[in-house]
Amino acid sequence: MNRLSLPWLLLAPALLATAILVLLPVGETMWLSLHDVILYRPRSRPFVGLANYAWLLTDTDFWESLGHSAVWVIASVGLQFALGFTAALLLNRAFPWRGLARGLVIIPWALPSVIIGMMWSWMLDFNLGLFNALGMRLGLLDAPIAWLAQPGTAMAAVILAVVWQGFPFFAVTLLAGLQAIPKEQYEAAAIDGAGTVSSFRHVTLPGLAPVIATALLLRMIWVANSLDLILVMTGGGPGTATQTLPLYAFLKAWSGADFGHGSALAVVLALLLLGVVITYAARAER
Amino acid sequence: MKRRHLLATALAAAPLALAHAQKKTTIRWWYHFDDPQATPQALVTAFEAANPDITVQAENIPWGGGADYDNRLYAAIIAGNAPDTAMVKFNNQPRLIEMEALAPIDNFVDSWAARTDISDDLWKLHRAPDGHRYYLPVQYVVLYLYCRQDWFAKAGLKLPVTMDDFTAAAVALTGADRWGFGLRGGAGGHDHWASLVLGNGATLTKGGLTSPAALAANRAFIGLFTDKKAYPPSAPNDGFVQTINNMKAGRTAMTIHHIGSANDMQAALGDAITAVPVPRGSTGGWATFGDGSSAILAQSKNREAAWKWISFLSTGANNVAFNKLSGQVTVTTSGGRDWAMQPKRFLDATTASLPMAKILPPSAQTADFTRTVWPQTTQKALLGQVTPDAMMAGFEKLYFG
Repeated sequence: MNRLSLPWLLLAPALLATAILVLLPVGETMWLSLHDVILYRPRSRPFVGLANYAWLLTDTDFWESLGHSAVWVIASVGLQFALGFTAALLLNRAFPWRGLARGLVIIPWALPSVIIGMMWSWMLDFNLGLFNALGMRLGLLDAPIAWLAQPGTAMAAVILAVVWQGFPFFAVTLLAGLQAIPKEQYEAAAIDGAGTVSSFRHVTLPGLAPVIATALLLRMIWVANSLDLILVMTGGGPGTATQTLPLYAFLKAWSGADFGHGSALAVVLALLLLGVVITYAARAER
Repeated sequence: MKRRHLLATALAAAPLALAHAQKKTTIRWWYHFDDPQATPQALVTAFEAANPDITVQAENIPWGGGADYDNRLYAAIIAGNAPDTAMVKFNNQPRLIEMEALAPIDNFVDSWAARTDISDDLWKLHRAPDGHRYYLPVQYVVLYLYCRQDWFAKAGLKLPVTMDDFTAAAVALTGADRWGFGLRGGAGGHDHWASLVLGNGATLTKGGLTSPAALAANRAFIGLFTDKKAYPPSAPNDGFVQTINNMKAGRTAMTIHHIGSANDMQAALGDAITAVPVPRGSTGGWATFGDGSSAILAQSKNREAAWKWISFLSTGANNVAFNKLSGQVTVTTSGGRDWAMQPKRFLDATTASLPMAKILPPSAQTADFTRTVWPQTTQKALLGQVTPDAMMAGFEKLYFG
């Protein structure tokens, strides 16, 4: 066996698994997107070329879902990062019961999305919800608000839920990054006269930058792909006010049994995310 | 010598025993009950005791608003792994017929002695558009109108019979922290719309959804929310759980559902709640018929055994036991005589609604309409994002192009 073929032979099991589990479904989805595939018409599956993609360009629901996806990803990841970073900085300081606090902060991350969706749906419920009850008792609200039934508040409500679910990821990841920054750098900064803000700006942020970038990229991919919370809390409604691109693809394929258009939507979403994935892969390669 | 004789006998009998064991048929049956705790094991045991050559493999399939169940069934059919028999509904019949996935049961039904125990009305509803029978009735409900009769009495109102009665009551009973009607604006709410719009001027014929009468009925339906504020503010997103909970919590004076929730309502509100047929409008009223049937799949190699099982479920006391699990109403006349699953007034409202029991057309568009088009468009109309007339134009386009 020559030196060139040995690495390929050793990699073969992993490459085979990747091909079967990743490339094959991706290829199948791309192939489906070029056909008119209605689940309950298994004998009729005509090749339509790029017609499903041409349809997307004229579909107002597609453009609306794309806009909602942008709001969903930017707001969710941005707020998760802000909250997670703040939590990481707090948990990096010494205080009594810090170990317990570090354990508790991970709970939202550990809960299944469906449970979180149902829990927030009840907290935001018009009649029985905690938010309305507290708001009314504290005099902040004159009347209960149908948080999930109004376009203006429904998107904010689902973003709130996903921020609660996702901020521990940033907290834990950034906490690990904070602990990896050598104390000597802070001591050197202090000797040079740096205060808290200067230390944060010139030691903490540069030290954390690689971790922040990786965490943001990963979370963007996950949030952009996720639909479970929205599906449980609003189903994409009211109307289509919270319908994001992956949810639209899911509803088209699963509820509408239209796998041709659903696959085209999924491929477009994948292409949009490809830029983020390539950036992440390039960073991981370094 | 004796031992040798025994051995020879045993060897001779072995192929017979094997043949007998091989003759035992296993049928796979897909089912769904609203109550996830309900199990049909007692019925399976009773059937297997009466039919020792058949084993029933009961498979509980998640419902997921209907889409999960249907798509799993389609996928199983495409994969060649369909069950022998499954619980089905009218709304997926056109698709299943298009897939040539259903086995006709005309011959079985014609020679079935217990067929006369199911009313002709139900048999008529269960005949497919191509004239064949594919579905055997196993349960049914007819949607009716729940009313807080104590509130009606206090306000000096009679329980609604006409659409005008309904509208007047919905407005009059709306007050601080309570609303006249609990609309289900989320998935499944098309049944409410059908009663209040298709029963009051709109028809599912070409042009029938955009006629002046249809548009007026739909404007009134949407106007009860946008102008009269007679539905709760959460109505656009309310599903089954919210509408029922609102009624039980004394937040709404009326809502539309069926006998499946009657015991819950009775437990929460006692005699304060009753039910009447949905109000009759200018097109005579529309009480959605909620069907539940059994079908034999064309892929089944055990159609005789599958028929024995599904006909067992639709027979007399077995059907009563089945409907105890499903929370719906027996399809048998004999079982209905001593019905005691829910207070009688709710059964009376169900049977009184039968003359105006209707279903949405059995076409492929209906599945799209109920799952996505109706909720999304109606929610937009309720929120003022599209006009009520544009909403109806969208429905007309879906059904009639």
